[in-house]
Amino acid sequence: MGDARILAAEPVVPSFRRDVMPVFFRAGCNAGTCHGSARGKDGFMLSLFGYDPRGDYERVVNEMVGRRVNTAVPSQSLLLLKATGAVSHTGGKLFGRESEYYRTLLSWIEASAPDDVGQVPSTVEVSLSTNRLLFETQGKPVELKVTARASDGTSRDVTKLARFFSNNESVAKIDADGRVTAVGSGDTHVFARFSRFTVGAEVIVLPPEKGFVWPNPPAINYIDTLVFDRLQKLRIAPSKLCDDETFLRRVTLDLVARPPTVAEYRAFMSDTRSNKRTLKIDALLADDAFADYWAALWAEQLRVIGGNYAPVATHVKAADAFYQWIRRQMRLNRPLNEFVAEMVDASGSNLTNGPANLYTMLVHKPQFEPKAFAADFSQLFLGVQIQCAECHNHPFDRWTQDDYYGFVSFFTGMKRKPGVEPRERRIYYDMSAAPAKHVVDGRPMPAKVLGAIDPVPGGGDPRTALAQWLTAPENAMFSRNLANRIWAQLMGRGVIEPVDDVRATNPPVNEPLLDALSHHLVDSRFHLRSLVREICNSRVYQLSAKPNASNRGDTRQFSHAHLRRLRADVLLDSVVTVTGVPRRFSGFPDGTRAIEYYPRESGDTEGPHFGEPFFATFGRSSRATVCASETKREPTLSQTLHMAVGDTVRERLGQSGELKKRLDAKLKPDAMIEELYILVLARKPSADEVAYLRALVGKDENDAGAYEDIFWSLLNSTEFGFNH
Amino acid sequence: MSLAGLKMRCVVAVFLICAGLAQAADPAKPVNFEQHVAPIFKRHCVQCHGESKQKAGLDLSSFASVSKGGTGGAVVVAGRSSASRIVEVISASDPAERMPPENDAIPNDQIATIRAWIDGGLRQNAGSTVAPPEANAMTFTPAANATKLDGPPPMPEHLPAIGRAKTMRPFPVLALASSPRAPLVAAASFECIDFVDPASRNIVGTIAFPQGEPHVLRFSRSGRILLAAGGRPVQSGAAVLFDVTSGKHLAEFGDETDAVLAADLSPDERKVALGGSGRVVKLYSTEKGKLEHTLIKHTDWITSVAFSPDGKLLATGDRIGNIHLWDAQSGGVVLPLAEHKGAIRSLTWRSDSHVLASCGEDGLIVWWDVAKGWPATSRADAHPPARPEGYYGKIANGVLDASFGPTGELVTCGRDQAVRVWSNDGRELHRFSIANGSTTGIKVFPTRVAMSFDGTTVIAGDSAGRLHSWQVKKPGKSK
Repeated sequence: MGDARILAAEPVVPSFRRDVMPVFFRAGCNAGTCHGSARGKDGFMLSLFGYDPRGDYERVVNEMVGRRVNTAVPSQSLLLLKATGAVSHTGGKLFGRESEYYRTLLSWIEASAPDDVGQVPSTVEVSLSTNRLLFETQGKPVELKVTARASDGTSRDVTKLARFFSNNESVAKIDADGRVTAVGSGDTHVFARFSRFTVGAEVIVLPPEKGFVWPNPPAINYIDTLVFDRLQKLRIAPSKLCDDETFLRRVTLDLVARPPTVAEYRAFMSDTRSNKRTLKIDALLADDAFADYWAALWAEQLRVIGGNYAPVATHVKAADAFYQWIRRQMRLNRPLNEFVAEMVDASGSNLTNGPANLYTMLVHKPQFEPKAFAADFSQLFLGVQIQCAECHNHPFDRWTQDDYYGFVSFFTGMKRKPGVEPRERRIYYDMSAAPAKHVVDGRPMPAKVLGAIDPVPGGGDPRTALAQWLTAPENAMFSRNLANRIWAQLMGRGVIEPVDDVRATNPPVNEPLLDALSHHLVDSRFHLRSLVREICNSRVYQLSAKPNASNRGDTRQFSHAHLRRLRADVLLDSVVTVTGVPRRFSGFPDGTRAIEYYPRESGDTEGPHFGEPFFATFGRSSRATVCASETKREPTLSQTLHMAVGDTVRERLGQSGELKKRLDAKLKPDAMIEELYILVLARKPSADEVAYLRALVGKDENDAGAYEDIFWSLLNSTEFGFNH
Repeated sequence: MSLAGLKMRCVVAVFLICAGLAQAADPAKPVNFEQHVAPIFKRHCVQCHGESKQKAGLDLSSFASVSKGGTGGAVVVAGRSSASRIVEVISASDPAERMPPENDAIPNDQIATIRAWIDGGLRQNAGSTVAPPEANAMTFTPAANATKLDGPPPMPEHLPAIGRAKTMRPFPVLALASSPRAPLVAAASFECIDFVDPASRNIVGTIAFPQGEPHVLRFSRSGRILLAAGGRPVQSGAAVLFDVTSGKHLAEFGDETDAVLAADLSPDERKVALGGSGRVVKLYSTEKGKLEHTLIKHTDWITSVAFSPDGKLLATGDRIGNIHLWDAQSGGVVLPLAEHKGAIRSLTWRSDSHVLASCGEDGLIVWWDVAKGWPATSRADAHPPARPEGYYGKIANGVLDASFGPTGELVTCGRDQAVRVWSNDGRELHRFSIANGSTTGIKVFPTRVAMSFDGTTVIAGDSAGRLHSWQVKKPGKSK
């Protein structure tokens, strides 16, 4: 008791970790552009954002005795002279001698610049005074307060030690002291970073209320409720419901990766049942092509490529085994958690046990590389990019180096050994393998799931525990990632975008929506078709792409349908469907669709592979990396030229197939034009369009050349190349 | 009409104000570069426009280089401060355009000094009229018998008393040197140097070092002269020669923008070498008081320089572990010595000039065979600190200083809080620890070591500013 009183009476010496390092962080000393750079700056290095406190202490105090820290004449310490701009400093003046930062550093040096003795309570949670801010266009600035809770249960105000930033400065700005100012209408997030935590607050800046009328659209399901709720808050009116023609084409392209046939069009348009859209969705979900399309999407993400070069594990035969297994799971409507868990825990022959090829295909390297694999694994199955934490704690997320190396240790025992034939590799886990070592101090890091404190129980293949944790219903990171990717596939944009860059500083644009989608997936026991059905049935999915005055500027809140260029494989399948002239792929049987195609190479499988040149031109994923952005959706000049003069369209015009059939039927010009519109664009032409094209046909009503030109024009229209 | 008149009056007024300020700086003498302007540039500009870095090709560290200008042309126009680019940028009202960037503006009185200097015709120093002569530093005449060792060993006698700067606690012993001829050690303190008896550690005299913190102390071979070099971090630095007996300031070399971290006086007392964060080694002639050679090869801070006892070679080491040997007379390159993987902390020559020892933050001590340029012996992890339980990763194990004794033993100290003495062939002869076993979070380690002239006593200074000494041989026994 007596001791405690004496201690309390003495001035408190600032702690290096608790008080001094936060000053380095706040002042920007340990930022990547300054002394936090890997090589330091002007001869002085600090660990980036302070991931290595012990090393930082050594460098500040002991590396150059008496220079940076001068305990004999504390005010002459270079640390203080530089920071206050009293001597020349490349980084300029960071704070004044009257600031509390200066006082903290000075009183620490006056106390002889001690290192911390024993455990210093570490920050375990950081919170903001509010997590939502709503501004009318002209609003007063709001000051945020940042509170840090330490491992000993104490809390303190760290507003003066945090750093702030805004995700979109054209909506809201935040200054160095946490004061938020509205700039323009929209929604964004502002963030505070302290210790290794980044916490955010949503900021909504409303457009003028005047002239805004909420159209009060009916909600079909919870998706509509949540999206419309958000839109109403933001004063954005959703577009109208799309018409039947648009719906039919959109949903057919989205679910079975081709446009509707003329027969399907006529059947749907003449259907008078009020629930015909729901019935159509159900019919498409039951189509094998739906399973095949999702098999293609998974195969792309899992980077299925077959090579002919025997001494690597990725032989064509292994690729076939993997792809066939994926397709079987999709056709069987296998729950997605089971589908993933089986791959994660798989061992055995790459030629006979398809799912084991997760460990040969996800990272195409001659040797299995645990770090590269762990990074791609987490990006694919969790949407989280942990690789930043290889060298320093993730600067924009919660992931630490401990998380990273603990996660890598799930894969340090993965081995491939030669099988009975040259093409075969046996995948197994070597339980004697050492875990990954922490890069800062070389300490072994036993396998530990992301965000956990304790490692998984040792003494066995840790992947079993990994698969269980990963795919458990409680693991929201997993279900949210899957739900977000499924949503993005159908809506053209994720609730979190990009879908594979989930982090604290890239929050969902509609948190309740993502939660609900994720819950739906979990509640349906991870059934893909169930969530797809729900999304397609929503009014939000069925909105027109035509914007109105209030939602023209919105690109994030699903107020209208996005125009989406068709994926390369879907486009090729669409050309084949519309022309009725098949496309053959080398190495695959006749009748193989573009979505079922994956690259088969004569050599090894490292590096980018598109396979057919068409896929390179139209930006199908080259499977060089796991990034979602490998699939390109941007239109390019070479795409336009390829469609206009390349052999894909040119060879499929009038000689055979659908156009030939119709020429042979010798339809009247008006009927022929309508037929071609339905065939290519799944809609009837407008009166203007008919009148314009009728003039091209001329006197000879069966002029094959004229119809071929019209057919060619429609195939080259942007309307054909897009899902709208 | 009236407008033109008003303008004229304004111009006159401005001119008068400028003239007034300039005179206020020093009413008796006109403003000159060396006394008035150089300190301003040094304080605000030379970090980016100096010897080591010349942004925009501009070097403001010397009169000649200022006159030369930068890549954009001249920055000063004699007699016309308003037409001088430098005045324009330092007095810009927009902080985005103003120099120095991201810093407070240079105070108005200092800008006025610069303007007055330009308007006064760019005088180099107090003696300049118009075209200034070549640089003129303080000179020093070496003793004719600098290397002839006779007469009584020089000891401090009747040094004037000095006012010691008040400090919160003792300053770390950044430099230590043993007289080669007398029972005398010089130890650095804050803005002063203590002469100490090695065995008793009693202070026998103190000389002031107003230049700042001494980082280097070296006795001449005769023991008559003490070289002290240092300065104030990122402000100023110089090397100074003192007379040991009288404490008299003899000469000063270098006008650096940062503390001098490495320096030595040649055995014939004719040359001073110095270096620091500027990455170059400067070789001065003591007689002419002039910079003779600038040795450009190191790519990081110079941490140690040492002339060989025979005066032929100069060894220089830097903060990334490179060592170069130079011809001490011509400044020509002789050999690189590559072995260290961390900062060099010390270079020391054995008295026969055949062996150079180096030590550094990589924990390595190397005894170099200088003729071959090859390590004769080396000791890795020579000062290994104990590894605390449950502590992974690299532990800083640097060897912080090394110094040869009179008969070829090498004394070193390191981050293991120990002082060690090594035989000629690299065997450990003695080990002394200064570990404080403290639980206050403040680690004290020996920063500098030396051996007394007769090889009887090892003396060490530590980071808490204390001196330690140990007897390693009975006095009186020669060899």
